[in-house]
Amino acid sequence: MTSSDIKNNSNKRTRWFTNITLLRESQITKIHYITGVSALFVVAIHILMRLIMPFNMSLEFENVILNYKNIFYALLLESILVLIAIHGFNGLRVILLEIRETLIWERAVNILVIVAMIGIIAYGTRTIIIANGFSVG
Amino acid sequence: MTSTTSAKRIDDNSKNDRTNRAGIKGWLNPIIYGWERVSYWFQRLTGIFLLVYFIGHVYETSSLVSGPDAWAAMLEMTQTIGGHLFLILVIGASTFHTINGIRLIFTQSGQGLGKPGRPDYPYDPTSVNNKQRSGLWIAFILAAVAMLYGANVLFSGE
Repeated sequence: MTSSDIKNNSNKRTRWFTNITLLRESQITKIHYITGVSALFVVAIHILMRLIMPFNMSLEFENVILNYKNIFYALLLESILVLIAIHGFNGLRVILLEIRETLIWERAVNILVIVAMIGIIAYGTRTIIIANGFSVG
Repeated sequence: MTSTTSAKRIDDNSKNDRTNRAGIKGWLNPIIYGWERVSYWFQRLTGIFLLVYFIGHVYETSSLVSGPDAWAAMLEMTQTIGGHLFLILVIGASTFHTINGIRLIFTQSGQGLGKPGRPDYPYDPTSVNNKQRSGLWIAFILAAVAMLYGANVLFSGE
């Protein structure tokens, strides 16, 4: 193997679509870890918000809507949505890629998880935006 | 012995080897590979379970936009003993997945793996050591504690 071969191999990136070059697996792993640790903190705040008053009371419609009307809490929910969607669907991608190792399978899994990730983020964001009612207070 | 006979014998042996393989059952078997294999499976199973819960939770909370009645109807479905038990499982799964995930991040960065040594009988790998095992047990114990706390909050309604 020549030095140019080594250089070419080191420059190989994961191809998520046929002609689109995105991230290396090592970079995706780092993103997986960062999103996981970050999600730990934001989810902890999300759970604490349910425990600052009696649990059943905190789930009443008015209380929940009041949470969503708070722009900081709405941003927190959006960050949870994005972080967990990325972490969760990348985890699913890793599990599915362990099952089979063909190029078609890899591409199909990658496309599937990206579409699902975008879908769940879009659906959750819709809820946050409508429940927030564009309130900034 | 001709080369054809020899090749046939090698081929037969490889077929026999294949029939002796444990296959997916061996892969799933936690007894042969120890607690690390249990950790491997639990991390994946809790991950899939939590992803399913996450999708369900996003769908569940979307009932907010349909007004108080839709929200109350959705809540009513979850405010049952079965719903509470499911949430307790979610609490346990998320705690285990978090603690074991942090252990795996440290492991992948080379922490707690021990020093590499000469492979002597009985060939116990230094990477599978008490630090790793204690991390796994801490994950199980904290998951159990979190589940108990969650059960107390959910069933007492406080």
